[in-house]
Amino acid sequence: MSILRSRQGYSALVLPVVLLLAWQVLAWRASTPLFPGPWQVAVSIWRLYPQIVGQIGYTLMRAAAGFFVAAIVMVPLGILLGRLKAVGSVLEPILDMLATLPPPAVVPIVMLFAGTGDAAKIAVIAYAAGIPLIMNTYEASKTLHPMATLVARSLRLRRLETMVFIDLPASLPMIATGVRLAVASALLVSVTAEMLLATNGIGVFLQRQQENFQIANGLAAIAFISMVGLIVNDLVQRLERRLLFWHYRSTETQNDR
Amino acid sequence: MGSFRLLEILAGFRAIISFLIIIVTWQSIASLGLVPEKYFPSILAIAAGFRDMMMSGELVSAELRTISRALIGVASASMLGIGLAVLGDLFPSFRRGFAPIAALVQPIPPAALVPMAVFMLGLGPKLYAFIVILVTVWPPYFNGVAALASVSDVQIRTGQMLGLSRWQILRQIKLPAAMPEIFAGIRYASSISLIAVVVAEMLAGHDGLGFLLIRKAFAIRIPEVYALMFVCAVNGLIMNTIVNGLRWKFAGWQSRMTGQAA
Amino acid sequence: MDVVLEARQLAKAYGVGTDALQVLGGISFAVSRGEFVSIVGPSGCGKTTLLFALAGLQKASTGTVTFNGRSVTAPPRGVAVVFQDYSRSLFPWKSNRDNVAFGMVRVEGLSSAQKRDKAQEMLEAVGLQGFEDKYPWQLSGGMQQRVAIARGLASQSELLLLDEPLAAVDAQTRADMQDLLLDLAVRFQQTCLLVTHDVEEAVYMADRVVVLTRRPTVVDHEVPINLGKRRDQITTREDPRFLAARHDVMMSIRSSRTAAPATAA
Repeated sequence: MSILRSRQGYSALVLPVVLLLAWQVLAWRASTPLFPGPWQVAVSIWRLYPQIVGQIGYTLMRAAAGFFVAAIVMVPLGILLGRLKAVGSVLEPILDMLATLPPPAVVPIVMLFAGTGDAAKIAVIAYAAGIPLIMNTYEASKTLHPMATLVARSLRLRRLETMVFIDLPASLPMIATGVRLAVASALLVSVTAEMLLATNGIGVFLQRQQENFQIANGLAAIAFISMVGLIVNDLVQRLERRLLFWHYRSTETQNDR
Repeated sequence: MGSFRLLEILAGFRAIISFLIIIVTWQSIASLGLVPEKYFPSILAIAAGFRDMMMSGELVSAELRTISRALIGVASASMLGIGLAVLGDLFPSFRRGFAPIAALVQPIPPAALVPMAVFMLGLGPKLYAFIVILVTVWPPYFNGVAALASVSDVQIRTGQMLGLSRWQILRQIKLPAAMPEIFAGIRYASSISLIAVVVAEMLAGHDGLGFLLIRKAFAIRIPEVYALMFVCAVNGLIMNTIVNGLRWKFAGWQSRMTGQAA
Repeated sequence: MDVVLEARQLAKAYGVGTDALQVLGGISFAVSRGEFVSIVGPSGCGKTTLLFALAGLQKASTGTVTFNGRSVTAPPRGVAVVFQDYSRSLFPWKSNRDNVAFGMVRVEGLSSAQKRDKAQEMLEAVGLQGFEDKYPWQLSGGMQQRVAIARGLASQSELLLLDEPLAAVDAQTRADMQDLLLDLAVRFQQTCLLVTHDVEEAVYMADRVVVLTRRPTVVDHEVPINLGKRRDQITTREDPRFLAARHDVMMSIRSSRTAAPATAA
C-alpha cells in the first residue's frame, strides 16, 4: 500500500517538473530579463522574501478585516431574509444584480466616500466577500426543510431561538461554501484594491517591480501570493471539515445505505 | 395551471417591484441630501451621463470590447477545462500530475498577473485571453473532474453491458451525466471572467469598460461612473442568460427532471 | 374520566373559491387521560393535517381543539410530537444526548446539568444507553426514532402525538418499537394519540380506534378495543376480539375506498 502511494506521489511530480524544465529552456533561449526562467525567480524569492512576506502581511490583514466585517453583517442578514420570505423575495433580484457587479468596479465609488486608505480597501473587500456570503446564507435558510421548523415550533421555540439554534446550524454547510468563495475573493480583491489604491501591500510591490522591469521579482511575488492563497484555502477547508464533521459524516453514512 | 400562471406573473412583478424599490430609495437618498449630491447623483443625472456616453460612442465601443473579451475567454476556458477534465478522467496519472499545478495557479488573482503579462503579451487580445483563461479554467475543470468521477457505477456497467467502448461510455454516458455540474462551474467562471476583464482593463489602462471607469473616476464624472457600474452589472446578467441558455441545451435533462418532480 | 384533548367540528380547506380542497370536514372526538387512541383512515384522508391541527402546528379553518380545557392556537406546553421523518426531525449537529436535552429548551427551572441527567435517563428508558455521545446519523432508523421519542418524553409531555412514527422502520424493529411505546406510555403516564395507516398497528396499540372517512374527512365511527393494557405480539394478534376489531376497521376503510374516485399519487 505504502509503495503504491509513494509511486503515485512520484508520478504526480513528473508533470510539474517537465513544465518547469520546459519553461527554463525557453527562458534560456529567449535570454532576456523580460522573460525570466524558474531559476531567476527562485533567486528573486531568496533575495526578497523578507520584503515580500512583510508586504503580504498588510494584504492578508486587510483581507481578514474585510472578510470578518462581511461575515458579521451578511450571515445574520441572510438568515433573516430567508425567514422573512416576503422581504427576501423582493430583495433577491437586487442581490442578483449586485452579484453580477464586479467588485473592482465599485472601487471608484468607494474612493469617493472613503478615500484611498485602509478603510476604502476594507470596504471593497467586504463588498466582495459579502456577496457570496449573503447569497449562500439566504439560499440555505430559504430552502431549509420544513421539518426543522415544525420541530422547532412543537418544542415551542421563539423566532429568534429558531434562527440561532436551528436555522444557523442547519445552514452552515451551505454557508461554508460561501465562506470558501468569500475567503478566496477577499484575498483576490485585497491584492486588486492595493494595485488600484496604491499605498502598501503585495499588490503595490508587484507594480513597483513592473515599473522597474524586474519581471523575476514580480513572478517571485506572484509565487508567494499563490502559496499564501493555497495555504489559506487549505486552512479554511480543514477548519470546515472539523467544524462540520456532522454534515460530512452524516451524508457519507446516508450514501452508504 | 391557473395558479401556476399567476405565480409566474407575480415573479415578474417581483423583479419590477424590487427595481422600483431601488429607484425610489436611491432617489430619496439623493433628494433628501443625506449624502453630498456630488457623490450621490439623482437617477436623472445618471441617465443623462449614460446618454452622453452613448452619444459620444465611447460606451458602445468599450462595452463591445469588454463583453467580447469575457465571452471569448470563458468559451475557450470552458472548452479547455472540459478537455483537461476528460484527459484527467482517461489518464489518472495526468490528473495527479496536474493537481499541484492547478492548486498553485488557481489562487493567483488576475490583478497580480496583469503587470507581468503586459510585458510578455502586450495590450492586445492575447493579454486578455491569457488572463481570463488562466483565471476561469478552474471551475469547469474541477467540477468536471469531480462529476466525471462520481458518475454512478450502475450507469457505467449498463454501458459496458451494451458493448460500448471506453470512449463511447465517456461520450454518451459520463459527459452527459457530468454536464449539469460542469455548467455550474461555467456559470461561476463567467462571473469571474467579467471581474478579470474589468480589472485587467483598469490596470492595463488602454480601453474597455474598466479603463473608462477609471478615467471617469479621475475626471470626477460621478454620474458617468454610476452609469458604468450599472452597465457592468447588466453585463453580468447578459453572461448569466447566455450560460443558462447553453445549459438548457447541453444539460437540460436535469432541469427537466427536477422540474417534473417538483 | 377527564378529557385531555378534544377536537370539536374541526374542518380544514386548502385554497379558496371553486379551487378549494376540503380536507377535513368537521371532525369531533375526545381523548381521556391515560388513554391510547389510534386514528386510521383511507389514504389521503388528511391524517397528518389533522394531527398538525391538534398539535397547534397548523390552524384549522373552523372548529376548535382544546388541550386540558384550554384552546390550542400554538403548540402548547405538555404536548410532544414524534414525526415520521426521524432523519429530518433530529439535528445532525447535536449528539443524541444533546438532541434529547434540546427537547427541554423551553422547560424552565432546570439547570443544564439537570437537563443533561434527564436526557440520560430518557435515553436509558428507550434502551439507548451507551449511545449518548453518538450522533443520530450513526444509528439505525429504529434507533433514531427512539431518540426522537426520548426527546418528546424529556419535554415533560403528558400527551404524545405520534405521526406514523414507525412507518419508515423495518417490520421486526417495528414490533419491538410498538411494545416499547406501549411500555413507555404506561411508565411515564402519557396519553397517546397515534396516527397510522396500518390497521393492525392501530388495533394492537390502542384502547380505542377512531376510523375516519375519505375526504372531506369526518369520523366514521369509533371502535373500542377491550384487550386490556397488556399486549403481546403473538397472542394478542390471535385473540378473536383483536381479529373482530381488525375486521370492523378494515371493512369500513374498504367501503370508503371503493366509494372514492381514484386519486393521483
